[in-house]
Amino acid sequence: MTRQSDRTTYEADLCIVGSGITAAMMAAHLVEHSKKRILVVEAGTHTTPFAQRTAARERYLAYGESPWKSDHLDDQNAFGNTWGFSPSMHVGGLAMHWGGVSPRYSPEDFRVRSLYGIGDDWPFSYDDLDPFYQEAEERMGVAGEQGPVALDPRGKPYPLPPLPVNHNLKQLQQWAANAGIAAWSTPSAKNSAPYAGRAQCQRCDTCYPVCPSGAKYSPDFTWDALVREKKITLLTDTLVRRLEADASTGRITHATGNRTDASGAPVEIRATTFVLAAGFVWSPHLLLLSRSSAFPDGLANRSGLVGKYLAGHRNVNAYLRLPMELLPGINAQHSLVSKQFMRPGRQSRYLRHDLRIWESSVGREPRLRSDDGTLLLGDAMLQDWQQRAKGATARVRAYYDVLPDRESRLDLDDAHRNRFGDPMPKVAFRDAPESAALREWQEESLRELFRRMAKAGNGEILRMENSANDLGQEHPTGGCRMGNDPQQSVVDANGRAHDHENLWVAGAPTQPTASCCNGTLTFAAVGLRTAAAIAAS
Amino acid sequence: MKRNRESSDVPARRQFLKTAGVLAVGTATVAGTACDVKEPAKLDEPAVARRIGFDRSLLDALAATVLPASLGAVEVRAATDRFVRWADGYEPVAEEMHGYGYADVRYLPPDPSPAWRAQLAALDMLSRKTHHVSFASAKPEQRTAVLEVALRGERGDRLPAPLNAQHIALAVLAHWSASPNAWNLAYGARISPLTCRSLDEATRAPLPLAPVDTTTRRTS
Repeated sequence: MTRQSDRTTYEADLCIVGSGITAAMMAAHLVEHSKKRILVVEAGTHTTPFAQRTAARERYLAYGESPWKSDHLDDQNAFGNTWGFSPSMHVGGLAMHWGGVSPRYSPEDFRVRSLYGIGDDWPFSYDDLDPFYQEAEERMGVAGEQGPVALDPRGKPYPLPPLPVNHNLKQLQQWAANAGIAAWSTPSAKNSAPYAGRAQCQRCDTCYPVCPSGAKYSPDFTWDALVREKKITLLTDTLVRRLEADASTGRITHATGNRTDASGAPVEIRATTFVLAAGFVWSPHLLLLSRSSAFPDGLANRSGLVGKYLAGHRNVNAYLRLPMELLPGINAQHSLVSKQFMRPGRQSRYLRHDLRIWESSVGREPRLRSDDGTLLLGDAMLQDWQQRAKGATARVRAYYDVLPDRESRLDLDDAHRNRFGDPMPKVAFRDAPESAALREWQEESLRELFRRMAKAGNGEILRMENSANDLGQEHPTGGCRMGNDPQQSVVDANGRAHDHENLWVAGAPTQPTASCCNGTLTFAAVGLRTAAAIAAS
Repeated sequence: MKRNRESSDVPARRQFLKTAGVLAVGTATVAGTACDVKEPAKLDEPAVARRIGFDRSLLDALAATVLPASLGAVEVRAATDRFVRWADGYEPVAEEMHGYGYADVRYLPPDPSPAWRAQLAALDMLSRKTHHVSFASAKPEQRTAVLEVALRGERGDRLPAPLNAQHIALAVLAHWSASPNAWNLAYGARISPLTCRSLDEATRAPLPLAPVDTTTRRTS
């Protein structure tokens, strides 16, 4: 580190921009597989430390206060259809308050063009990613059980036994079986037994947004260990605003930015290799911000696809009343999962989806008036509640695969600028025409599945609803899609930019599609695949 | 358009908030865990000075009317104490939790207590007008009649989150109803939602509660 007037220059072999879960996984891999000096640059600061999370949880439960202090920058945000995006910008990123749900994609996700004639194949297969899935699961500590092998292939067992199928889920599992659906304990990055120096889960049921026991993996555990052991340098409160590329070679020479503290002082970072691990918004955003006379459309953008093909999924959700006795609160954030519908075989029309099943208290809560409008106070209210509490409500939810349009995109929005004058990102999701044409039928098919499930359990549908629909999509990816053809992709199969040999993009932004299940584990696994390629390069 | 502000993977935030009383009950089934049930941590220094507290005689009369008498006078009093501590500990306009999918940062509502204090005084005025007796001294059926008038028009199919209660009677009722103890009574078992405890016990049905007679005991 050197200082010249108010500018500070940092030097490293490898600079990782962003400190979320993908960055944490990659850094942990790289310190073990290379001798590179690693500098991790985070625009935000440290949020609520572990020792304060019990108190933060209490205030969250009491009032809805955010348990995560200083977890965003007020002037650094995205606009447009931002469902699926969080302004979280702090050490550990959004995964500080994720739910820990860690399913893998299915093999079909990597071959939808080959199998179904729509969308695009990934440049590698599920089998190629399997060891990196395993590595991510072991680094986080994922508790899980393998489902039927035909539905849930994997090379090795999970590192931790599954979270228990609890008293409620046992009954729901039998109901699902009666409906012809194989469902099992949802894999979760929560310690079913003490692991990696962290405690066993105490089913506090606030995994999202805050785990008070440390049983749920969050990236701060990795960062704290790497910093404590002096394996990396973590530079916080520093916003990288531009990457500078040599016009003749395309190599990234340095990054520039500013401190996000009161000083706003300029910063320069010189490194041999740069990695963008800043998620599906900030990674393409930085590439677009880095436009120059030599690269007028931004960096890595020969294809014109930086910021394009934003992908995600939507869901249909239902509550069902069932003739069984469920008791809320046993481990309410834990669920059953089925991958049966992610591997549907040949289809006349394309529909792939996951399925999750929870116990629910919907329809079994206290109320103020009886059906005839009588005011319920005191023991009358309690007696009414006791009657309503009998029986069971189940919640079922299916994410279905949405294929992205090329113009599902992120642009620079001149109407919104940060304190440094940089235009902020604006996102606009758009389904590919084939997905848009299928949407109504797909959603009705899911509602029909839920009706069949209700009938199989002699139950009834209480209500059904769709997700936020056109506000955005869930577990979003894309913006720097990977591929073998430099005209059709931004980075290669390893995450290396086609246009800049020492620039890599990691995790979510590189994914061509977002499957139909929670994506964080896959983001991390794809990032680990990139880390392995960097270590080998 | 009002957005659903939750990931589709997790229970609605309202459900969390409806369980706000978890902080106040102190009946964790497992003692000594790092995340045992406690009162919410108090702020070192409130950002803005606030008037706190309620007319306790009126509040006690209200609580005795809206909370189940079968709890017994001691528990009704304790539940009222917890409500007061909860209301006094609120930090207006603190940042709300933002999680998956929400780019905008939102803030909690202003302090509801001034309106609740005014409503408490209004219950007393209404009681004096309609029954010629203070609310605190009125008979249970007279207090209920006053509340029938005060709560006319309130949504009946559910209780609000305590913080969003538009009337103090609802706030007191909703705060208690959100407690693990209330859920235990409703379900007749020691389910104690949002209480940290052993993972291994999750496979067993929670122990049943002893039946409570909700038909005979009165607190006033």
